[in-house]
Amino acid sequence: MFKGMKEEVAIRVSGLSKRYEIGKAKDGSLRGTLSSLFKSSAAQKDEFWALKDVNFEVKKGEVIGIIGKNGAGKSTLLKILSQITKPTEGRIEINGRVASLLEVGTGFHPELTGRENVYLNGTILGMTRKEVESKFDEIVAFSGVEKFIDTPVKHYSSGMYVRLAFAVAAHLEPEILIIDEVLAVGDAEFQKKCLGKMKDVAGEGRTVLFVSHNMAALEGLCTKGFLLKGGHVIGEGATKSVIDQYINLGSESFHLDLGSVINRKGNQKKQFLSAEWHGEGASTVNKIKSLRNIILRVKMSDEVDLNMSRIDVGINNSRGDRVAWLSTDMLKAKPESKTLFDFEIDNFNLSPGVYNCNFFFQEKNELVDWIQNQFQFEVINSDYFGVGRSFPENQGNILFNYRLK
Amino acid sequence: MKTVIDANKKSRFPDFKELLRYKDLFRTLAWRDFRVRYAQTTIGFLWALIQPLVTLIILNLVFGRFAEVDTGETPHILFTIAGLSIWTYFSFVMTNSGSSIIQSQGMIKKIYFPRLVVPLSKAVVGLIDLGITIVVLITLMIYYGVMPSINIWAAPLFIIMGMLSALAVGIWLSALTVRYRDFQHVVPFMVQLGLYITPVAYPVSEAADKLPHWVMTLYYLNPMAGIVDGFRWSLFGGSAPSSMMYLSFGMVVFLFITGLLYFRKIEDDIADYV
Repeated sequence: MFKGMKEEVAIRVSGLSKRYEIGKAKDGSLRGTLSSLFKSSAAQKDEFWALKDVNFEVKKGEVIGIIGKNGAGKSTLLKILSQITKPTEGRIEINGRVASLLEVGTGFHPELTGRENVYLNGTILGMTRKEVESKFDEIVAFSGVEKFIDTPVKHYSSGMYVRLAFAVAAHLEPEILIIDEVLAVGDAEFQKKCLGKMKDVAGEGRTVLFVSHNMAALEGLCTKGFLLKGGHVIGEGATKSVIDQYINLGSESFHLDLGSVINRKGNQKKQFLSAEWHGEGASTVNKIKSLRNIILRVKMSDEVDLNMSRIDVGINNSRGDRVAWLSTDMLKAKPESKTLFDFEIDNFNLSPGVYNCNFFFQEKNELVDWIQNQFQFEVINSDYFGVGRSFPENQGNILFNYRLK
Repeated sequence: MKTVIDANKKSRFPDFKELLRYKDLFRTLAWRDFRVRYAQTTIGFLWALIQPLVTLIILNLVFGRFAEVDTGETPHILFTIAGLSIWTYFSFVMTNSGSSIIQSQGMIKKIYFPRLVVPLSKAVVGLIDLGITIVVLITLMIYYGVMPSINIWAAPLFIIMGMLSALAVGIWLSALTVRYRDFQHVVPFMVQLGLYITPVAYPVSEAADKLPHWVMTLYYLNPMAGIVDGFRWSLFGGSAPSSMMYLSFGMVVFLFITGLLYFRKIEDDIADYV
């Protein structure tokens, strides 16, 4: 063995494209085919390229996070890599045994017992019966449903069902593992177990491709990220930088033109013109990572002297409850008259979710401009504590930056 | 293990080696169907007995009593169950493998395996019912004191031909149903019609006496015509089956090979179609 050959390629994708035809051509009816015999073949076919000229290489042992918005082509890519569907163009070389987990519990049958489903699901996922047999005890122990293993799974709670299903999947021993969002299942404790198991898998030098919207999990697990947009790979590199790139995607929509808001109160002598979130790199962002520093930039139509007036920004959660309030009135040091104000916020400690803002401007005790429930923005998880886990959404609106001593 | 997926390369033939690697899945799927089939029914496996028995009684009434078809030395009821056993197997496998791909679409969209495993596994499930009817057949033979003929050695061959024939039609139908859902409605029709254009409840000679030669040629294009006739001959003897039986056999081979090729042709796109 030469040293130079050590970095083996696990997956090589070149010129990969996938086209779907929408509409008549593939609607699967006899009539459609018969009538298309009589029409010119150029009859309008709606084409849609889910992937277009995708090229990348994955080395053995890499843990790749695939990031992108819905419809970016992530699932199509995974489906092609898992051989569920064929590419329209291009070529893929895969070195090693692949297991793909696009869902947990594929093929589970409600009438069968847990034991029977373990065998069923295991063989569907590509294990031999012998392999399932040898891992059976481990699988059951991992799932924690020992007591009910001989009960039909239709009597299981959804949590038990998912745990058993994941347990089977977790005991596949492929060289290459392809996973789609399966971590979004089960309770927090089980999620932790799953992530731990995934870390083990990654640690054993296996190659993993992982699609998720959970940025914390991606950041904690992956050594490298690919960013997909509109069927193209538009970013590749260290997970953190690809996540940042993703967060900044579509930032154009994140500058809110407050000047055009019609529904507003006050004498309108002066107006709010715009609001923007700026990340640490001073670029605008459309998603805010929790517990990171962020700047809210508010632009006014005319110069404002804060000694005679005040600007308030109220932040409401999706239920309409006020969760935070920024007011120039509360600050001692006030800048001179100007039109642009930056609210610098340290450790933005709202929990993940969707929020919106109220903008309030008062001059000489007179209401000048007041805009309510505008400027919706999203706060997303960041793996701030480095554990690869995100804060659950139902645990309040506020995050503390805490440590244990 | 190295896998190459190339958009421009497509094999015309099924990958039998790969199919062999998935033999455990094949077994598991067959076993699942078997386990689930009568789940939650009170009388369970009796259903596998009741359905052919009721059909048998009706056929015996209509063909044996009312129409009084001549079945020679063999009692009509015995004559009919022999034909019915293999015909029921055929129609069961044809129906189930025909709809099998659509039924397992959830799986097909989420995981890769050679899709052919799904319709193929149905041939095994049907064997259980075939076994049950054959037990009834043997019981009746004992009851009527009918000894198997010296042609009995050929019975397994006809059963194998019956399996091939059911799969040939089933594979065609499963692929066609993916492409054109219309075939879901064709299948029950085929089963219903098939019972009459196959010599299940009457001997082929009845038809041959009354129909012109060219119609009989068409008749034997039904792959089950020769198989049912031959299977019965292997059990009860009598005059050897018409040489037109080879027409039925030819059809089985033809349908089976073309079925595999057509299935292969659409296999890669199944996940996009269903």
